[in-house]
Amino acid sequence: MENSGYTTLTRQAGLMREMRVVANNIANTATSGYRQEGLVFSEYVQAIEGASSLSMGQGNVRHTSFHQGALTQTGGTFDFAIEGEGFFLVETPAGERLTRSGAFSPNADGDLVTFDGYRVLDAGGAPVFVPPGAADVAVSADGTISSEGNPIGQIGVVRPLNAREMIREDGVMFRADEGYEPAEDARVLQRFVENSNVDSILQITRMIEVQRAYELGASFLDAEDQRLRQALKALSQ
Amino acid sequence: MRALKIAATGMSAQQMRVETISNNLSNMSTTGYNARRAEFADLHYQQLTRPGTISATDGTVMPTGVQLGLGVRPAAVSVQLQQGALSATGGDLDLAIEGKGYLEVTLPSGQTAYTRDGGLKRTGEGLIVTSDGFPVEPQIVIPDDARSISINASGEVYAYFADAPEAQLLGQFNMSGFANAKGLEALGSNLFVETEASGPSLVSTPGEDGLGTVRQGYLEDSSVDAVREITELIEAQRGYEMNAKVISAADQMMGATTQIR
Repeated sequence: MENSGYTTLTRQAGLMREMRVVANNIANTATSGYRQEGLVFSEYVQAIEGASSLSMGQGNVRHTSFHQGALTQTGGTFDFAIEGEGFFLVETPAGERLTRSGAFSPNADGDLVTFDGYRVLDAGGAPVFVPPGAADVAVSADGTISSEGNPIGQIGVVRPLNAREMIREDGVMFRADEGYEPAEDARVLQRFVENSNVDSILQITRMIEVQRAYELGASFLDAEDQRLRQALKALSQ
Repeated sequence: MRALKIAATGMSAQQMRVETISNNLSNMSTTGYNARRAEFADLHYQQLTRPGTISATDGTVMPTGVQLGLGVRPAAVSVQLQQGALSATGGDLDLAIEGKGYLEVTLPSGQTAYTRDGGLKRTGEGLIVTSDGFPVEPQIVIPDDARSISINASGEVYAYFADAPEAQLLGQFNMSGFANAKGLEALGSNLFVETEASGPSLVSTPGEDGLGTVRQGYLEDSSVDAVREITELIEAQRGYEMNAKVISAADQMMGATTQIR
C-alpha cells in the first residue's frame, strides 16, 4: 500500500477511539459528577529515508472538561455538590481518590460513605462521622457539618496539584498521584448533587462529524484502491 | 466496535431510570412512600497510554495520555428520605410520623419489619394492626366498650369509656430509628426490614432521640413530586434516544469498514 493509505488508517483508528469517547460521554449523561472527555488529534511526522517525511494524524491526547455541571436539588440531607474547583476526598482500598459525585449517606457505623461504600474523608484524611442520632444536620459552604447548631465534622474539599495527570477510575473517581491541596475557593452545597457536565448537543454533533469523517476515510481508501487497480491495469496492458 | 457496547450500557442505564420513575409515579398516592432515585457511575477505564508516559519517539513526558471509558453502570437506587406532606383524615387510628422514625410491626413469620404507613386498623379482638393485618409493637388491644381513643405525640394510646371521665392508658408505641435508613430492604406493602447496611434498629419512644413524633388523625402522603418525575422521565427518554443514535452511528461506521476493499 502507498503511504496515503497509512495516513488515512491512523486517522481512522483515531476516529474509532473518539467514537468510543463520545459513546462513553453520552452513556454517562445521567452520572452525577461525571466529567466530559474528549480526544485531541495531533500530527505525527515520520521521517522516511530518501523521500519527504510522512505526516499522519494521531488521536492520542485526552482532554477532560472540568467545567461546572448543573446542580440538581435533591433535598437529601447527605447530598452534596461542589460549586467551583474542587473534589471530595474518598478512601478506597486502593488509596485516596477524588470525586465530584456527592450523593453520600451515613453507613451503619455512622461513617459518611459513597454509594460504593467508600468512606468520605475530611481535609486531614480522617473519616467523616455522623452520629446515628444526629438531628437537623446542616452543612455550611466550607463543608462544616453541624447537628442542631453544633459542629460535628467537616467534609474535605481538595484540589489536585496537577489536574492534567489525574487518572480516571470507575465510580466517578480520579486518582491524583501528584497529591492535592485544600480547595479554598470551592463552596459545598447541601441537598444538591452536581449533574454530569456532558454537553449532549455538542457530543451528538461531534458524533455525526466523527461518523462522516470515518466514512470519508473509508471512501478515500476505496478511491485509492481503485486508483491502484487502474494503474496496474494500464501498466499491464 | 466498542462504542456499540458502551452505548448499550447507556441505554440500559436510562431504561433503569425510567423503571425507577414509573415505580415512583405508580406510588404517587401510597401512604408513606418515599421516592427513589437511580444513581449511576462510570465503568472501568482502559489505560491506553498512561498520563506521564515517556514518549517513545522523543523522550518527552506525555501530559495526559489516553484513557477510554467502558460505559456506565447503575450504582444505586437510593431512597429519598424526605418527609411527605401530612393529610388530615380524622381517623382515630391514622398516625403520621413527623420525623425519621419507623413503627415496628411483627410479620406472621415472627420477623420484625418497619413501616411509616400509619393507617392502622383494629382486628375483631381489638388488636391494633396495619392495613395488612400485622400487629404493631408493642401490641395494644382496644377494649370493645371503649367510646373513643386518643393517641398523643409520644405514641401513648388512651381509651375513653362511657362510664368514666378519665382516660385509661392502654399502651405506648415504639419508634425505631436507623443509622442508615437508606439501607433498609423494602419488602413491598410499605414494609422494610433491617440489613447490615442499615444497622440495627435503635428502639426508642416517639419524641426521643430525634426520631420524631406521631400525629393522630393524619397520614403521611407519598413524597413523590409528579412534576419532577415527569421532567426526569423526559430526560431519561432523550438520554435513551441519544444512546440509540450512538448505536446507529457506530453501526454505520462498521458498515463503512466492511466496505473497504
